[in-house]
Amino acid sequence: MKSKNYSEKILKVFKKKGFVFSEPDVLLDSNYIIQRSGENFKKLMINFEDDSGKNMCLRPDLTLASCVKYLKENSIGTAKIYYSGQAYRRSNNSKESIANDQIGLEIIGSKKKTLDDKEIINTILKSIDKIKIKNVSINIGDVSFFRQLVDSLSIPERWKLRLIRHFWRPKYFEDLLNRLETNSDIDPIAVDFDKKKFSEMKNLDQNQEIAGRKISEILSRFDKKISDPRSFTEGKKIVKMIREFLKISCPIDQIDKNLNKFFKKNNIKQNVIKNLLPTKILSQSNYKIVFSTNFGRDIEYYTGMVFAIWASANKNKQEIARGGRYDDLLKNLGSSKDISAVGAAINLNNLSRLV
Amino acid sequence: MKDLVTIGLPSKGRLKESSLNFLKKNNLRLRSKGGDRDYFANFDNLSNAKVIYLHAREIIERLGDGTLDVGISGLDLLRESSSSLQKKTKVLKELDFGKANLVVAVPDDWIDVQTLADLEEVSFYFRDKKNLRLRVATKYPNLTNKFFATKGVTQYRLISSLGATETYPFTGSSEIITDITSTGSTLKANNLRVLKDGSILESYACVLASKKSLINKNKKKTINLFLGK
Repeated sequence: MKSKNYSEKILKVFKKKGFVFSEPDVLLDSNYIIQRSGENFKKLMINFEDDSGKNMCLRPDLTLASCVKYLKENSIGTAKIYYSGQAYRRSNNSKESIANDQIGLEIIGSKKKTLDDKEIINTILKSIDKIKIKNVSINIGDVSFFRQLVDSLSIPERWKLRLIRHFWRPKYFEDLLNRLETNSDIDPIAVDFDKKKFSEMKNLDQNQEIAGRKISEILSRFDKKISDPRSFTEGKKIVKMIREFLKISCPIDQIDKNLNKFFKKNNIKQNVIKNLLPTKILSQSNYKIVFSTNFGRDIEYYTGMVFAIWASANKNKQEIARGGRYDDLLKNLGSSKDISAVGAAINLNNLSRLV
Repeated sequence: MKDLVTIGLPSKGRLKESSLNFLKKNNLRLRSKGGDRDYFANFDNLSNAKVIYLHAREIIERLGDGTLDVGISGLDLLRESSSSLQKKTKVLKELDFGKANLVVAVPDDWIDVQTLADLEEVSFYFRDKKNLRLRVATKYPNLTNKFFATKGVTQYRLISSLGATETYPFTGSSEIITDITSTGSTLKANNLRVLKDGSILESYACVLASKKSLINKNKKKTINLFLGK
């Protein structure tokens, strides 16, 4: 089957499910993206300066570009969109192409999260059915489970936040676990407490800013910091539990049972994980689906359910689709209110290696 | 002249003075036709070599493209350069001058920020509450990026600085800086404080050579004489 044929078949499914075509801009304002995504993302972007001296980049990701468009057009309410085009990213692997052909779909601004998750996964699976791909397997995870687990643990607040913030960086996260395990905090045990300076600053105008931070912010954080316990002895036990949690990987229909077993063993309330439903949706699917608590940690913007679909032909295994929930992305891109979003994209380059 | 060794020396400041003292110690006598303003010089007693005075950053670049065979420059500038350039360059000798540290400095009034762990927390606060990335002014983007990556500081953006970096947090151009400092007095005078674990690199002047030049036996012989061997 030719590439054009199968992309047409996929798009037909998208349209039938009520998704509307939306073409995100190819050129984006680099500074806008870097300001909101940080330096790490910049390394992936293809940047240049336009004639007016403005820093621009080729869209590095179609989800990101679709969200930028949603905000630019001041869209209100639910947008059910699909796109078809190229995303441009640098790669450390010289064999990988800079341009990736993607077709994908997004539901932005809807409040029916569970139904939307289901709709995205089912639409992608239906598209794959249409192009008659064989040997399909699905990996699924939910990155919010880890956050919910950490919230339930009795460890100092700063450790909770660190673990949650760095869940996306497995290498540094491992470093953090080693420190937590050996009780070697990355902050020195004693916090230098300059009483004189503290009192002086208390008497200043609290709204005065020092390098972008109000004095009230500085003093409030300082107060919190000195009250958060510096020494902590339960590290080894907690780390063992976290490592055990991140090893949970099983067929989707057994996830309930395995999570409950883990909670019981570690004396954790069983209702810590509140939103198992989206993952349960897939239990009735005919595909081989594996749920892993460790899955979906490579892209920071996911906030909930994450999935990837694999297929193989002649011993050649390729990731053909990936998606998930990303409820914080639009806020990170400048929205003043919370806008939920979920989406997925099919990687046509990988698909063409199989079909 | 066959196998002539071209040596790059810093063109100004303390680094130039100390480099000339290093030559003196090795009994190498320099002579320039055009006096102090001449960018070229020769040795009275090292016939197979000539000197070009260049900016310390330029010396690293020219060692990389093979225009220079040897040069004196700072380790900080070498480590900041591209990895392909570093692969082509070898540190032959560490010198006892040009000592300075590349550090992370924050406004002194940020009394709650003493370590990189604090900075990491504050950078997330900027992202989550202000929807902004913490801005870091620097002349050393590569070293800063590498250092922050190992310390888990990810939510920031770099602001390129060409000089007087210490002023950036107080002119609204950045929140914090990374900069080179030898005594810390300039940072202190500008109400900045180095984080307890904020040392990125301990730098000093070095004799550097193009790896390609070291393959040539005649050039290597001249380079050894330059080093006082």
